[in-house]
Amino acid sequence: MPSAETSSSTAVRGRPFREGLLALEPPRLLGSRCTDCGAASFPARAFCPSCRTGAVEPTELSPDGRVHSFTVVRQAPAGVEVPYTLAWVDLPTDRVRLMAQVVGVVPEAVALDMPVALELTPFGTAEDGAELVGYRFRATGEVAP
Amino acid sequence: MSPAPAHVAGAGMVRFGKYPAEVTLESMALGAARAALADAGAGLGSVDGLYVGHVFGGPVAGQRIAAQLGLDGRPVSNHENYCASGATAVREAWVALAAGLHDVVLVIGVEKMTDRVAGGVRPDPGDLDAAVGYVMAAGHAMSARRYLADHEATREQIAAVAVKNHAHSVHNPWAQYRKPISLDQVLGARPIAEPLGLLDCSPISDGAAAVLLCNPAGLRRLGIAPTGPRVRGVGLVSGSVQTGLGDINAEDVSRRAGKEAWRLSGVEPGEIDLVEMHDCFTIAEIVRMEGLGLVPHGRGAAWAAEGMTALGGRLPVNPSGGLLSRGHPVGATGVAQVCELTWQLRGTAGGRQVDGARTALAYCKGGTVNGTDGGSVTTVVMTA
Repeated sequence: MPSAETSSSTAVRGRPFREGLLALEPPRLLGSRCTDCGAASFPARAFCPSCRTGAVEPTELSPDGRVHSFTVVRQAPAGVEVPYTLAWVDLPTDRVRLMAQVVGVVPEAVALDMPVALELTPFGTAEDGAELVGYRFRATGEVAP
Repeated sequence: MSPAPAHVAGAGMVRFGKYPAEVTLESMALGAARAALADAGAGLGSVDGLYVGHVFGGPVAGQRIAAQLGLDGRPVSNHENYCASGATAVREAWVALAAGLHDVVLVIGVEKMTDRVAGGVRPDPGDLDAAVGYVMAAGHAMSARRYLADHEATREQIAAVAVKNHAHSVHNPWAQYRKPISLDQVLGARPIAEPLGLLDCSPISDGAAAVLLCNPAGLRRLGIAPTGPRVRGVGLVSGSVQTGLGDINAEDVSRRAGKEAWRLSGVEPGEIDLVEMHDCFTIAEIVRMEGLGLVPHGRGAAWAAEGMTALGGRLPVNPSGGLLSRGHPVGATGVAQVCELTWQLRGTAGGRQVDGARTALAYCKGGTVNGTDGGSVTTVVMTA
């Protein structure tokens, strides 16, 4: 018998909640990169928002991030469970910043520049019954308990 | 070459607040419209067209209002730019007047939120940020967290914006809240999105505001002397797609909105006597004033705490009480700002009057779009 599954391994069996957003094995965010200036975007765009001239090609982004800023959301519209930690996460390797939830750390211990790593998370069920997969980041390294 | 100014012939509001179901979107719009017409001494027959800003009003809200008001049959347009919707309607009316398409137009901003929105506003469900849990308060909370770290600012300085604006609203009969609040009350309020608490956030509100705008031909039609406040120009920009790992409080969208305001109005930043600023959250007033270039970068929180942006200070911001205390029925806000500027520039703002006000600016920022630094930003410049 396999041991209890983590949310990540469960999630791998489903499909991304939006097409083209992420790869499941291994977990990677999918962006675009300019073949001219090298600027990367997430999610992927049909143009380079930096130089506006180059062609873009699909790219997998680094799963290693750090918290640029964050908040603990205590009140949200109906149907959204609180509290949760929402952050601007920087992917320094790709020079990409994106918004995502951060887990694996109590709200009081989240800090600026804290290292985090990409992981998959269940994201509800599609109309055809398929499990949907989203993304979030988990605190890594030494974090105050 | 910028379009000609539009004269504000009349301005009127219904008091912002939380109203029961029988107070409808249409009835509030009618109240504001009739107040603006009465202020101008104008009849419905003089109105060429109706411009309406709203977000949650549903399809053809403007035509529903027109049918009850007695403006049925005339050109009616509905304008949605989220919290900049009302100001966007003002902009389109100004353009139509300058073009000579119309001579007298009524602009209404209206919103009935209390029966349609609960727990805070958020982006369109199709937006990627909304999918990961973004609510407006969260974005501003992350802005505040970074501002505190980058500028050696304090939580108390940010909270000072709420204390200041509530102190102003004591003198505003149109404001939802008219009681002063203390710094301790702001700091001790229930947390919404840390570090921001309930009193750092503008409320969910109902309300309506209206202005009657005209060009020189319209002034003649109404028999009004061309001596009152004028809309000199209305800037409109959208957020641009961001790349790299820059300052999340850079407010390039505000910088560009300011540039448009100065270009279209011919007014220079140093001439501004007061600002009605979109303080949907305390921190927003700070970073947007900095983005416009009206407060030095990184100094906005200190300016608020030192009284520089209070009535009697160097540059009064939100003498009306702002969104934090006047209330924020989103589509009505931009038109309510123009009403306040009109009263300030006429010198009839009573206890909240900015002495010697000759030139003023109103700023709205509406909505968010994943990957950009904003949805829409409007900048209205008016002179006495």
